[in-house]
Amino acid sequence: MNRYIIRYFFVFLGALLLQSTVITPLFQIYYWKPNLILIVLVIFSLHHGQMAGSTAGFLVGLSSDIISSSLLGLGALCKSITGYIAGSFGSELVRERYQFIVALFVAGGVHDIIMLFFNSLGRDMSWKVMIFVYMIPNLFYTAIVGTIIYYFVGRWFHHHE
Amino acid sequence: MKRLLTFFSLNRSLWLLLFYIFLSLLLMNFSDGRSLRGVRLVLLQTIEWIDEIKEAITVHQNMEKELLALKKENFDLRLTNIKLREVLIENARLRKLLELKTSSPYHLVAARVIGKGTEEGIRTLILNVGEDDSVRINMAVVNADGLVGRIISTTTSESIVQILMDHNSLVSARLQQSREVGVVGWSGNSWLDLQYISKNIPVKRGELVITSGLSQIYPPGLKIGVVADIIENEYDWFKEIRVKPAVNFNAVEEVFVIRALREEKRDE
Repeated sequence: MNRYIIRYFFVFLGALLLQSTVITPLFQIYYWKPNLILIVLVIFSLHHGQMAGSTAGFLVGLSSDIISSSLLGLGALCKSITGYIAGSFGSELVRERYQFIVALFVAGGVHDIIMLFFNSLGRDMSWKVMIFVYMIPNLFYTAIVGTIIYYFVGRWFHHHE
Repeated sequence: MKRLLTFFSLNRSLWLLLFYIFLSLLLMNFSDGRSLRGVRLVLLQTIEWIDEIKEAITVHQNMEKELLALKKENFDLRLTNIKLREVLIENARLRKLLELKTSSPYHLVAARVIGKGTEEGIRTLILNVGEDDSVRINMAVVNADGLVGRIISTTTSESIVQILMDHNSLVSARLQQSREVGVVGWSGNSWLDLQYISKNIPVKRGELVITSGLSQIYPPGLKIGVVADIIENEYDWFKEIRVKPAVNFNAVEEVFVIRALREEKRDE
C-alpha cells in the first residue's frame, strides 16, 4: 500500500510539474489548455473512490496553490470536491466506456465553476463569457487529451488498486 | 450516540470532504502567511530549474540543427570557392591566349581540348574545331606558352593534334642565340632532345629553342622550350642537348591552330 502511495505521489507531482512547465507553452491554444492535474485526479478517483479522491484532490490542490501564487486553499477546495465527485462515478454500476468522460465533464465542470466563482469575487466578470468562452471549450480540450491519456494509462491505475 | 456513530461511519467520505472544505476555507482565510513563502520559493525554484533544463535541451537541439545547416552551408561555400578559383584560373589562361591572338602575326583558330587520343604509340589531343573551321592537316598548334604540335587528322567538327612529346614528332628547331639549326624530337622522358648540334657550337643552359621555319609545317619563331642540359660525349660528333618543353602538355586546355600568315605581315 505504502509503495502505491509513493507511486501516486510521484504521478501527481509529475502532473503538477508538467502542468506548470510543459503544458502551458506547448499545448495552449488561445485561452485554452488541457488540465493535466484534473485528468490524473479524475482517473485516480474513478479507481480509488470518493475518500481517496477527495484526499488526493485536497493534497494536489494545496500543492498547486503553493506552486502558483493563487489564493492558498482555493485549489485544495476545488480539487477535493472534484476528487469526491469523480470518485462517486467509480462504483460498479457505472463502469462503462464513457464513465471517464462523464466523470471528467461533471467533476471538471464543478471544479471550474467553483474556481470561477472565487476568482470573480470583487471583480466585474461576465459569467456567460467565462463559461462559454473559457470553461466549456477548456473542458472539451481537457476531455480530448484526457481520453488519450486514459486510453494508455487508465489500466495502470486500475492494476494498482 | 450509536445512531450518530453509525451515521458517521456510513458517510465517512462525505465527512472527510467537508473536513477538507473546512480546511481549505481556513487556509484561504490565512492565505498570505509568511511561513508559506519559503515553501513557495523552493517549489518555484524547482519549477524554474526544470524549465532551465527544458530550455537547455531546446537550445541544444536548435544548436544541433544550426550546426547541420552551417556544415551544409560551409560545404556549399567550399564548392562555390573551388568553382570561383577555377573561373579565376581560366580567366588568366584565356587572357594570355587573347594576348597571343592579338599580338600574333598569324590568323589563329581558337580551340578547346576536348580529349586525349587513345591510339597506341601516338600521343595526341582532340580539339573541338575541324574542317568547318578551316582547320587542315599539318597546321601548327600553339598556346600562350609555345608550340604544342601539329594537326594530323580532321573531321568536319573535330581535329587531332600530334603533340611534341610523341615518338613520331620531329620539328626543325633553331637555337635562338647561335642560330644553329637542329631537330627536336621526344626523348621518351619528360624532356625533348635537340639533335644535330655540332660540338663546336657554344650552347648555354637556358637558351631558347624556337622553330626554324625551314619546314612546311611550323612557321618560324615559335617557342619550343629552353636548353635544360648539355651532354658531350667524346666519340660523338654532336652535342646531346636536352630541352625543357615550353608547354605543359598535361595541362593544355585551350590552343590556337595557326591557319595562315596575316595579310599585313605577308606584305612586310
